[in-house]
Amino acid sequence: MNAVELNKLNFKYKSVQKRTLENVNLIVNQGEILAICGVSGSGKSTLCNCICGLIPNVYEGEYSGEVKIFGQDISLMSRAEIATNIGIIFQNPSTQLFSPTIEDELAFGPENLCVDRNEIAMRIDEILKIINMEEYRYENPNSLSGGQQQLIAIASVLMLNPKIIICDEIMSWIDEGGKEIIKNLLMNLKKQGKTIIIVEHDIENLKIADRVINI
Amino acid sequence: MIKDYKIDPRPKLVIVLLLSTLALIYNEISMLFIILLISLSVSLLIKSDVAVVFFKLKKVFILMVFIAIAQSMFIKMGQPILKFHNIVIITDYGIRSALQFILRISIIVVSATIITTSTSREIVQGLVQWKCPYEIAFMVSIAIRFLPILKEEMSDMIIAIQLRGIDIKKVKLIKKIKIYKYIMLPIVTNSILKARELSLAMEMRGFRAYSTRTSYMVLKMNRLDYLIIASSIVVTILFILIKAM
Repeated sequence: MNAVELNKLNFKYKSVQKRTLENVNLIVNQGEILAICGVSGSGKSTLCNCICGLIPNVYEGEYSGEVKIFGQDISLMSRAEIATNIGIIFQNPSTQLFSPTIEDELAFGPENLCVDRNEIAMRIDEILKIINMEEYRYENPNSLSGGQQQLIAIASVLMLNPKIIICDEIMSWIDEGGKEIIKNLLMNLKKQGKTIIIVEHDIENLKIADRVINI
Repeated sequence: MIKDYKIDPRPKLVIVLLLSTLALIYNEISMLFIILLISLSVSLLIKSDVAVVFFKLKKVFILMVFIAIAQSMFIKMGQPILKFHNIVIITDYGIRSALQFILRISIIVVSATIITTSTSREIVQGLVQWKCPYEIAFMVSIAIRFLPILKEEMSDMIIAIQLRGIDIKKVKLIKKIKIYKYIMLPIVTNSILKARELSLAMEMRGFRAYSTRTSYMVLKMNRLDYLIIASSIVVTILFILIKAM
């Protein structure tokens, strides 16, 4: 089954004249890393927002077409179903983190989905081990470097165990060392069977992708 | 005892509420001064950073003193202390009002530092366990979270203006007001954009996916916490009784 399927997708923001997405058809296979490239304003982020359901649920505009997640129409999926199937990480890590400690930050998602406390504790231990940041558990996310903050943003999404992970230019604010850590993490997630969609400008960061598309 | 024991955020919230209430009930300067001393003692006992907060609010205090003086000048009741020809500038009543204002604000600021010894998550959890809706408690914590973002935006804008050759410190007041008027729009726009990003991140992490939610953090009040709440209420009632007599 395809992880993501877009059929004749069109979207136009309320405030602009031209359609940002026009007749987009795309299939993302399960377990692959797909990179989406394109010039600024070409609609990469809009496409990501359509895949994760933020369009049309949050952003208003003229929307038509179909977005299917593992065969299911996203418009028919509940907020909890979307959160457990798709996770999105944005460019700026500092606006994605809002809790006073990393532990609280990681617990936020599962708490919303009524996950049991013991299960949350187990997931926190596991995720912190994966990103190799166990010693930062009780630190304030604001005291971390940009790369570390982005890792926490990824970890907070992984806490919901999504099958599809969308990375919207997540490496643009990060130094070389941080980029390597994130790329390794994404490769490991791929090995675990996750489907990853990355929006990127930097050719170096595209090397981890199985497929690159230009929009 | 208090040194080694982590006080639950709820007794702290009660203390702040009671101290602020007392600050509003009393008008007598001597009593307001006593309440301020109590606030300071509690604050120091709980090991809050009163000095740091005072230092951060230095500019606000200068403004406070300015407001107090202005208040004193415009309240014409009482005996005149300072006169210019036939115009009364300052009266004893005006000075008393100014002092009351400064003491009240100081009590509220000092008592608020008590809360800063708990994290925003602990405060949210405390409120939630007191049956306050999670959304409201969380909204308060997010508002607190946004204050440094606004400050950061403001300083970024001022740096951007200074890089264009305007030394904001040397500019006259009227021009300074004009500059601030210009930079307010991008500050507000950027803050709204950041708030939107934050809300999207929350949305994608299942915020309000269900009507209820579990809580990883669970607060448990101890005997000392109950004792603090009870004694704070008793002391407040005593103060109110003294006022009534």
